[in-house]
Amino acid sequence: MLHKRLMRIALTALAVLLVNAACAQPKSKAKPDLSGIWQAMNTANWELEAHAAEAGPVASLGALLAVPAGIGFVKQGKIPYLPAALARRNSNRAQRWTSDPELKCFMPGVPRANYLPYPFQIIQGKDTMLISYEFADAVRTVYMQDPGPAPASSWMGWNTGHWDNNTLVINVSAQNDQTWLDRSGNYHSDKLEVTERYTLLGNDVLMYEATLTDPEVFAQPWTIRMPLYRHKEDNAQLIEFKCIPFAESALYDAIGK
Amino acid sequence: MTRSISVVCLLILGAWQQCAWAHHSFAAEFDLQKPIQLHGKISKMEFMNPHSWIHVEVKNAKGEMEHWEIEGGTPNTLFRKGINQNTVPVGTEVIVDGYQSRDGSNHASGRNLTLTDGSKLFIEGSSTP
Repeated sequence: MLHKRLMRIALTALAVLLVNAACAQPKSKAKPDLSGIWQAMNTANWELEAHAAEAGPVASLGALLAVPAGIGFVKQGKIPYLPAALARRNSNRAQRWTSDPELKCFMPGVPRANYLPYPFQIIQGKDTMLISYEFADAVRTVYMQDPGPAPASSWMGWNTGHWDNNTLVINVSAQNDQTWLDRSGNYHSDKLEVTERYTLLGNDVLMYEATLTDPEVFAQPWTIRMPLYRHKEDNAQLIEFKCIPFAESALYDAIGK
Repeated sequence: MTRSISVVCLLILGAWQQCAWAHHSFAAEFDLQKPIQLHGKISKMEFMNPHSWIHVEVKNAKGEMEHWEIEGGTPNTLFRKGINQNTVPVGTEVIVDGYQSRDGSNHASGRNLTLTDGSKLFIEGSSTP
């Protein structure tokens, strides 16, 4: 009798263990879900390097559109430009109130899209991730299965992703050379390759790192790092910012009205 | 970029008759009576909407190098025909069949690209007849 009872207990225990083993997903297998609405809360879009506050482009708008001071986001401190490239960056900066592609409502490229002062949404699938930006309807499809080489360069690049434990790694290639990295003239060529890393810290903060490699512009690869914050408002959503009508005057007045 | 060009065009068309950004008809810009054939090397491929542009360096009759811009189809129509930055890279030798621009400049609406191995690629400039 005792023998039978012990057998029953042992079998039940074994069954429970087996069910647990089958149902439980070890941490390394279940990937974090990065879906949600995110936004950077910093001055990276003004300037990636540390800088002091500065007057804005329109005196009558006063402090409203002045440039805030900012800490730097470049791990190495300064962006390691090649000498000729640094001269071009400085000339970009001097013309930033007319030449910044963001002003023209052009697609922002990567990594700038992630630290614009507008929210973006990550929609996580298994074979693809979609990152949709409020700014100018910019969007990136991230292929989680290798789709082969890019057929042509584009504004938001050719994005391929994979998981490195619990970090999402996205490789961005084939961006065109028309975008800037911030509002201060930091730029790149069409040889730019970006490697991004997204790691959840708790549920509501994504630690974002991007390493930029461009042998035509930078002496060596360099990395930026910043947290991205989850929007927690009850009705958090992306609302259209179709900025082309706002940019028309800036773009076309010189040609004729 | 597509959206920006077409939206701007719609808005400007109302105020300004001749819209440089309008998606034009073939006949308005290119001359069916001026078919041309160019032998040269591709120096740049611009995949964009509404038309891609293929830049070709051509040696003219005097032996001077001329820069030509050939209008092709949208990026997607070119990709479907197997034309992309990997299959037709910068430096590729090509024979371009097309129709020259009415203003006589070094622009043409492209019809075909023939490669050195004899293969012909239809690049579909502005609604070529």
